[in-house]
Amino acid sequence: MLQNTATTSAILASSTTGINLPQFLLNASESQDENANDNVLVVIQLSGGNDGLNTIVPFKNDRYYAARPTLAIPKDQALKLNDELGFHPAMTALAKLYESGVLSIIQGVGYPNPNRSHFESMDIWHTCRRKTQQRDHGWIGQSVTTALLASQSTPILHLGAEKQPLALSALTPRAISIRSLEQFKLRGNQQAIADAVALGKFAQPDEGNNGLLDFVQSSTSAALKTSKQLIKSAVQDVKRNDAVTYSNSALAQKLQTTAQLIDSPLNTRVYYVTLDGFDTHAQQSNAHQILSGQWSSALGAFLADIKQRGQQQRVTAMVFSEFGRRIEENASKGTDHGTAAPMFLAGAAVKAGVIGEHPSLDDIQQGDLKHAVDFRQVYATVLDWMQWDSATALNGEYSTLPLFL
Amino acid sequence: MTILDPVWAWSTFKPTNRQPWNLTQAAHLYRRAGFGVGRGELQRAVAGGVQRCVKQLLHDNQEPQSFQDEMARMTRSIVASGNLQSLATAWLYRMLKTTDQLHEKMTLFWHGHFATSAAKVQDAFMMQQQNDLLRKHATGDFSKMVQAISQNPAMLLYLDSAINRKTHPNENFARELMELFCLGEGNYTEQDIRELARCFTGWEVRNRAYRFNKYQHDFGKKAFLATQGELTGQQAVAHVISTPAAPLFIARKLVKYYVLDEPAASDELLAPLAKRLRKDQFQIRGTLEMIFRSNLFYSQHAVARKIKSPVEMVVGIMRGLSIKTDLTLVARRLQQLGHGIYFPPNVKGWDGGRTWINSSTLLGRSNLMHEIIHSENTTFGNKSLHAHLQNNRIHSLAHAATYFSDLFCAMPLSNHTKAQLVTSAQKETNNTDQQFKSLLHQVVSLPQFQLG
Repeated sequence: MLQNTATTSAILASSTTGINLPQFLLNASESQDENANDNVLVVIQLSGGNDGLNTIVPFKNDRYYAARPTLAIPKDQALKLNDELGFHPAMTALAKLYESGVLSIIQGVGYPNPNRSHFESMDIWHTCRRKTQQRDHGWIGQSVTTALLASQSTPILHLGAEKQPLALSALTPRAISIRSLEQFKLRGNQQAIADAVALGKFAQPDEGNNGLLDFVQSSTSAALKTSKQLIKSAVQDVKRNDAVTYSNSALAQKLQTTAQLIDSPLNTRVYYVTLDGFDTHAQQSNAHQILSGQWSSALGAFLADIKQRGQQQRVTAMVFSEFGRRIEENASKGTDHGTAAPMFLAGAAVKAGVIGEHPSLDDIQQGDLKHAVDFRQVYATVLDWMQWDSATALNGEYSTLPLFL
Repeated sequence: MTILDPVWAWSTFKPTNRQPWNLTQAAHLYRRAGFGVGRGELQRAVAGGVQRCVKQLLHDNQEPQSFQDEMARMTRSIVASGNLQSLATAWLYRMLKTTDQLHEKMTLFWHGHFATSAAKVQDAFMMQQQNDLLRKHATGDFSKMVQAISQNPAMLLYLDSAINRKTHPNENFARELMELFCLGEGNYTEQDIRELARCFTGWEVRNRAYRFNKYQHDFGKKAFLATQGELTGQQAVAHVISTPAAPLFIARKLVKYYVLDEPAASDELLAPLAKRLRKDQFQIRGTLEMIFRSNLFYSQHAVARKIKSPVEMVVGIMRGLSIKTDLTLVARRLQQLGHGIYFPPNVKGWDGGRTWINSSTLLGRSNLMHEIIHSENTTFGNKSLHAHLQNNRIHSLAHAATYFSDLFCAMPLSNHTKAQLVTSAQKETNNTDQQFKSLLHQVVSLPQFQLG
């Protein structure tokens, strides 16, 4: 919603010599299993509930046109991907990815007993747990804690000004959030502050444990350490790639930075970015068109960039939203909260195609689509590809899907 | 955590030798109930006793008419200019200058509760109108406030409910009314939402004002939350508030805002507050009084068990050291730290607690403080920091370290830490004023300072 990330991430993306990376960040792989891969997952979160039906359009379905008198995408405008389905017309870049065989569309993704609250549903997607269960940690944070050595400094990087997504939360290590490189530099007497923080750790005056203090202390230590070394070190390893043009959207800028960082010795394994604004209860058409075009073109540019950098085999992007939207449009030319919707995986390692049937518009529950694929199956498949254990992070065993080559 | 006895928790705190009413406790009360005060006021609070201090905060600090007029003039001219960022600056000014800190803190609570962002509404008049509404009811009648917010143009626009026709009711407002404003997730069904949405059909915004369009209102019978009838929107709101989940939901949010971030309070612990809310017919003030007089509030379960919000951090230190600085810049920085007043991140408002903190915001907090402390536009009681401290009879760095710790750190700094900070400040510069500034910046960069 707030676009104040645009300029700051532009700073990140366009700092002319690129971002300087410290030696300690450069490689943690020597201490790892030699057979372990260095695959990279880039998560793109569409916040607010993306309208799946207007993203992958069932243009042969009369029921779709009956339910969406003002919002339906006309058959002749959908970018056809087969005889029945087409992309939203703003998603030309995504259609190209599909044609070139690097996009997988997973139909009808959701979970049992769907929750239509943004916040509860997002928490479910982030933690794989319901409200009634203990859920302090996210599925990505938990995976990293289980899979990687604590010595790896920045396994997870969140680019954005919004609060850190719960999916990244872990006891250790603390995921790093960066809004802008400029702001990621500590002013004042850094050494004095770092020394005092270190001292405070061993001098808790109170008898009672204060979990909040522990949390702030470890977060401060991690931030100071990363900041100091990120700024101080003058490694010139981040390469610009002017052959690929990204749009000016905040998301595109963040993905451009992500591509640069992936193509640097920084061994970050998960990047996390979000695009907000999908809660289209009123006047959906224009807003959804802009947003769909934004993430489609940003993802297209990102994959082109990654390919030119020769990194395509180790990078997969995953796109999701907390729910889809109601089949019937409302009277405000918008749609209310729904349930199942498509997910997307993109990258050279991905097995391209449409996985699963488009959800039925006749066999429905409470006016909403029934899910056919549990999102945790997609997570399990992705974690498998990362060679990370999934059972703990996903709170159970989930069968994988044929999503990778 | 040990299970807390609700009777003990909400009984009136009586200072003892072991748990005295002292400067630390007074600073805690002011930090939580308001934003903070300087040393002089704290000492007066200690001398007057805890009960008197609470009474004063709740009842005796009304803004003088002249100040209210000044604020009204300021906001009128901002609304005329249409500058949304300036609205935030004006509110920040009010938080800094008001005599009634508790009231502004509570207004900020409701802004997070009925979160509405100017980024979407894009209208200074409607945003200020909503802010006035929240301030008017802040410590008063919750039922009236919910009724008013339900017809508030900024809110309806924010929730895409400016048009609502009976053929296809828009569910957004009905959902958030139950999920975020009154009951909490899990206390209603999807069917309840659909039925409740029908009650609000015909509610519209025209020319920046609420309007009832009877031609679009569904006058039929609705059934939700164990009631049924041809309910109007107002009757529907009243019914939602009358269900048992409502007072518990508000009590839970108040405890999280004022008492402790974690662990989540149990229903048993909250029950006496919920009961009080119900008994007071949702007049908020009595429940606040109960909280600020309670054993729990002054216990180790509450002290230093919250993370300061960016606004609390900034307003607290500015009030504590009588800082004047460029408020426009501060308001902008607050937004970058995730606490943009008038610009909450979404309809759920600010989650608070640990979500305030990550690598980016921690460095951002420290850098904002550095910017304020070292800006040429900044004064401390219209003086340099050194001169201001001397006025308060603080002459040495060691004394200042204790002073800053007492005033601003919910978890006091150890002597060892303070000594090290002083040494670092002395090493950094020979300029006395700069030494005090360096010391202050170090203090506000420490984890102990982030606790509220």
